[in-house]
Amino acid sequence: MSYIDAKAAPRREDRLGTCIEFGGLIGDIAKPFCEGCLKNRSRAFSQGTICQLLPALAILTSLQETVVIAHGAIGCGGAVHSLGSSVRLGQWRSGDKNPKGALWLSTNLNEQDVTSGGEVKLREAILEADRRYRPDAIIILSTCVPGIIGDDIDSVTNDVKDQISAALLPVHCEGFKTKVMATAYDAIFHSFLRNVVDGRDETDFGVYDNEAAVAAEAIRRKRLVNLMNVSSMTGPDQNELTRLLNKLGLEVNMLPCDAHPDAFRKAPFAALSIGVCPTHDDYFMSYLEEKFGVPFVGGQMPIGIENTGTWLRQVAAKLGLQETAERIIESESAELNRALEPILPSLKGRTAMLSAGEMRTLATAVLLQELGMEILAVRPYHYDEFGAVEVEKLSGINPSIRLNVATAQPFEAVNMINRAKPDLYIGHNSDNVWAAKCGVSVLPIYGTNSIYSGYAGAYDIARRIRRHLANTSFNDKLSRNVRQPYRKNWYSEDPFKYIKGGELSA
Amino acid sequence: MKNKFVERPRTFCALGGALITATALPDVIPIMHAVMGCGGSIYWNQYGSTGYLGAGYCGGLAAPSSNIQEKDIVFGGVERLEEQARSTIGLVEGGLYIIMTGCTPDIIGDDIHSLVRKLQAEGANIIGAETGGFRGDGYVGYDIVLSALAKGFVTPKGRRKTKKVNLLGIVPGQDAFWRGNLIKLRSLLGRLGIEVNSFFTEYDSLDGIKGSGDASLSIVASEFFGVKAAREFESAHGIPYCESPFPIGPAATEIFLRKIAAELKIPRRLVDSLVDEETKNYFRYVERIADAYNDLDWQRHAVVVGDANYAPAITKFIADDLGWLPEIMVVTSPVGEEDEPKINRVVEDLESRCPVHVVYESDPTEIKKHFWKYIPRRTDALHQDIFSPGFVIGSHLEREFASDIGADHLTVSSPVGNRVVLNRGYAGFDGSLSLIEDLLSVIAFQR
Repeated sequence: MSYIDAKAAPRREDRLGTCIEFGGLIGDIAKPFCEGCLKNRSRAFSQGTICQLLPALAILTSLQETVVIAHGAIGCGGAVHSLGSSVRLGQWRSGDKNPKGALWLSTNLNEQDVTSGGEVKLREAILEADRRYRPDAIIILSTCVPGIIGDDIDSVTNDVKDQISAALLPVHCEGFKTKVMATAYDAIFHSFLRNVVDGRDETDFGVYDNEAAVAAEAIRRKRLVNLMNVSSMTGPDQNELTRLLNKLGLEVNMLPCDAHPDAFRKAPFAALSIGVCPTHDDYFMSYLEEKFGVPFVGGQMPIGIENTGTWLRQVAAKLGLQETAERIIESESAELNRALEPILPSLKGRTAMLSAGEMRTLATAVLLQELGMEILAVRPYHYDEFGAVEVEKLSGINPSIRLNVATAQPFEAVNMINRAKPDLYIGHNSDNVWAAKCGVSVLPIYGTNSIYSGYAGAYDIARRIRRHLANTSFNDKLSRNVRQPYRKNWYSEDPFKYIKGGELSA
Repeated sequence: MKNKFVERPRTFCALGGALITATALPDVIPIMHAVMGCGGSIYWNQYGSTGYLGAGYCGGLAAPSSNIQEKDIVFGGVERLEEQARSTIGLVEGGLYIIMTGCTPDIIGDDIHSLVRKLQAEGANIIGAETGGFRGDGYVGYDIVLSALAKGFVTPKGRRKTKKVNLLGIVPGQDAFWRGNLIKLRSLLGRLGIEVNSFFTEYDSLDGIKGSGDASLSIVASEFFGVKAAREFESAHGIPYCESPFPIGPAATEIFLRKIAAELKIPRRLVDSLVDEETKNYFRYVERIADAYNDLDWQRHAVVVGDANYAPAITKFIADDLGWLPEIMVVTSPVGEEDEPKINRVVEDLESRCPVHVVYESDPTEIKKHFWKYIPRRTDALHQDIFSPGFVIGSHLEREFASDIGADHLTVSSPVGNRVVLNRGYAGFDGSLSLIEDLLSVIAFQR
């Protein structure tokens, strides 16, 4: 991958042609996407949303023994006050009974710094962070202000790296650089690959003091896999996927979320990298393959019954474990189906709309179809080739599903809800309230320390949906007593009327 | 304060403060002129730091935003802003639109004011404010928005209404209990016959704010926040202002009321009878908790961590009314050296004469170090004079510290991520009863 020599990873728009503006039928996106017509679109009306800094913060503040420095104005990073609750939970899970929560600093760039530059302040922050907290790694996130005033975070980190003991990771995630927040994943992995994943093999350095130990380690590595978790995965999600991989006889090296930086150092020595979300980790896994020969599987999210099976089969095929995988899938599916039987009648024929990250939205929609529900609309936060697989599955069953590609943009959502009147909305944190105000029942699409992945996730999602449909009073009454901010005529207009452009780029 | 990094900042940026202030105002629609992530950053901060204050009518991810991109930064973003402002007015229903800028337009120098004048000339109810995040914290954003209202929205009036005031200094979001606090103070002032424009409560309206130019006084229930807005009301409308520390509890609230009454020349007997009645009422409740307070020894050593409103207010209340020992008071919001005497005065004037170490510090890790400077560590001696029974009244960032030192903990000051706040307020006589409930419930919860 030639990208790695550059200081920053490329934008998803450029690397994958990713788009965030589309409205229409689900079958209608493939053609304009392939022709590149969706790349240069924009909205004449838009609402504040998520930039690449936020997923970067969510992942990086969860790392163990790591300090994150948000190099910018005092507000960039504030999101950690809510993101940090899952970090705290992660620390609790790994045995800390008085968890500190996410540790992050802001360089608090002020008017004076905007004029005279923020590099000195950043340098001092790095040096003091090393002294104060003695972390394994210090991550420097560049935000919009340093991006515009021209602070060179790479040269600052280069200058100080010999004075401190922590590994230094500059991450370029200036919000204005890309409109695809998923670029954050590439930005993070880019820095880890350049600064931490060095391929140094412990067995070459006398860590194992005899030949037998070295040989044992070599055997262990044949069953060691990198499991690429995502920040929207909860502890129970991680346990479920680990459970399934353990059943295949595999040992899991989990990263990036909640991991120690050592998990990255170990990654080149695994037998396989396993993605759980193609939009999340292709950048990292394909580099590991190219540079260290670690093969990977990554086309499938293990959310949904068939999807989980496909995911397991893909893993098994790479390691010659097909027969074991089939046995696992058979017994797991049978057990799940037995458990689902009494729940499914409550879900049958009920309608749903979903909104969140690309793969999450589409894979969860596929699961709901398996559970007997009818999908009215899906709203992935962005769209690119990774989503095409799930879009095909969905449109195969029902080509009249509406597809709206939008990073939140609740004004489009409420217009669609008003037309479609779904029974259930499954959406991203901060997105759900607008559906709630329409009187629709809501299941959050990730988080809340619940389980969504694998077979256990399929079961839990089903029973939670049944719970939400069993009492809709809260949102019913809410919708009758509060109003949305849009003028009345909005609901009779095309929900996508503000999307413009899209001609082939010159 | 030294110009350096901040660990886990307890505030929003100026744009964040401005956005939450605007969405707390009745019928006001914010239009952010910012990059796409500002809205999400601010909302997720709000989510985790203000007692789960939701988006409201048009906040959160519904807040209109120009979401400018690199090309707008290179070529200027005003064209995109104009498109966004026009589409917002066409789509979103509101009484007043406020354009507020993020860091990037402020750095590249986008001229929002020419656009505002152009739209005003076409009949739009719109004003603008430069609130780039690097201009300061959330408190600064509050002051900028209210100043912009005073300057660009409030109608100039020739005459003053003698008993009409504007109430400033309680900052939505930065104070998780802003609604409750404002309602408690406006109701107390109302009982002195004062008409109050408090901007943000269910009793306020956009028309009321527009007509606030005939107030005869701005009351700043803070000596730090809202002062700049009060000055703007003074320079734009000739309304004088009076600062008084944020009042929690009978002792502080009496001082507050007497100060306001003196400014407004309200007869002394009116104040006497209000204070009398409120004090009696306060003790009607306190009398019934006195049994447990004394039987179960509910007096505590305390560390108070809060902004320049809360730290002195809670310190005074627990020292002078609740009878606790506030050993250390940590002020987390920036206080210039010239303003330190204001904080020190509250401590020096404590009726209880409790000695309090005052510390100016925001970083949670450093606060722990300050604590150990003043409080002896546990040793292996048989008899030890340690910080016990202890209580830390602070933000959710002090949980770990409290647990480390074996103290109880209640989150009151920002960030408030482990409590849900609706109409609770701690200001005044009545509010302090809620604070007693919350503090003592932490202790009682363990029984």
